[in-house]
Amino acid sequence: MNHDGAHCVTCSDEAVPMRVVEVSDDGLAVCAGDDGVADVMTDLVAPVTPGETLLVHGGAALARLE
Amino acid sequence: MKFVDEFRDPDLGRIVATQIVATVEPGRHYKVMEVCGGHTHTIYKYGVDDLLPPNVELVHGPGCPVCVIPMGRVDDAIAIARRPGVVFTCFGDMLRVPGGTETLLDAKAQGADVRMVYSPLDALRIARENADREVVFLAIGFETTAPSTALTLVRAKRERLANFSVMCNHVMILPPLRALLESPDLRLDGFIGPGHVCTVIGARPFEFVAADYGKPVVISGFEPLDVLQSVHMVLRQVAEGRCEVENQYTRVVPPEGNPAALRVMQEVFALRPHFEWRGLGFISHSALKLSEGYADFDAERRYEVPGVRVADPKACQCGEVLKGVIKPWECKVFGTACTPERPIGTCMVSSEGACAAYYNYGRFSRGEKRLAAAE
Repeated sequence: MNHDGAHCVTCSDEAVPMRVVEVSDDGLAVCAGDDGVADVMTDLVAPVTPGETLLVHGGAALARLE
Repeated sequence: MKFVDEFRDPDLGRIVATQIVATVEPGRHYKVMEVCGGHTHTIYKYGVDDLLPPNVELVHGPGCPVCVIPMGRVDDAIAIARRPGVVFTCFGDMLRVPGGTETLLDAKAQGADVRMVYSPLDALRIARENADREVVFLAIGFETTAPSTALTLVRAKRERLANFSVMCNHVMILPPLRALLESPDLRLDGFIGPGHVCTVIGARPFEFVAADYGKPVVISGFEPLDVLQSVHMVLRQVAEGRCEVENQYTRVVPPEGNPAALRVMQEVFALRPHFEWRGLGFISHSALKLSEGYADFDAERRYEVPGVRVADPKACQCGEVLKGVIKPWECKVFGTACTPERPIGTCMVSSEGACAAYYNYGRFSRGEKRLAAAE
């Protein structure tokens, strides 16, 4: 269950949009979403820049929302 | 939030609902299956089914990875968690999934070091910070979750983190879908496809559903308007005699998926010859294990597990719910012996499970409808 209790992080299909706040050079980015701030692995959508919105699931960004 | 609020507009929802009424034949009954727990949750949370005409029925398929985990695998996880020196990490919902006799939460209460994490990356951090402990991550989920586990294992290998391992339970959506389509008693008019799985694998792998089985598929997003529009697109295909894979979720899903995600999954995982699905039995090539290149990180190679198959409790009808044969409220123990606080079956554990989603949201609107009918 996620922070708000509204959805399950293990769900097959439940990913959430998060905004990139800060990018580091180790393939991680600090991202912010409705549930708070988290480190996100951005290897699959690199390169990312602050302000972009990513689709994040289980700590990995799967897509860039445009 | 952008990409969310505009897809929850009730006025637009009512317009799409009107279009659905205009699309269906009044005397015909339609059944549309969603194969994703996220869609099930959206349908009940936002009352999407309340906007549909009575002859359009939504059926909930095996799309919640928590719900399809057999009890024997939970027992294996508990056996690892109980080992001295092990820190066992998993997503929150897995803590309450019943094994043969107990849950991971029970094991934690009895002294096992079981910790909830939000991402495998959290488990990796715990391993870095506890070099004297063995940290195990219970990996679970469909193709949406598998890339996160794969990326974490790539990092673990790069860092030569010897005290980190993964018990892999990742499953894939296409094999059970094919198993459902092979079922002789399947009477469905079409499918709502799992949008976020398709961000990884793309929409094309679903083409066999239309080509070989003659069922329309619409890849759908997860906001209420997404689901409602996808139901309309399925019904429109039926009305026009078309049968194809359409993509409602174009703002996220590219036809080819995410090639980088597929590459890292190919590197880290290998197909299991067979895997047991709760309610569906053993399905060939439907789950992933760690590849030979990552064997050192495989918890099932590192630790002995019972590996014993455990039959589901007789009173529980999760299997029928997962196949869409019965609705959650038709199960004998729904809402009485089986509740989210004390679940018997896995469908009542995760909020994506059809039973829990219906228990939390749907039963109220159904109760109101029954009252209205009585008056």
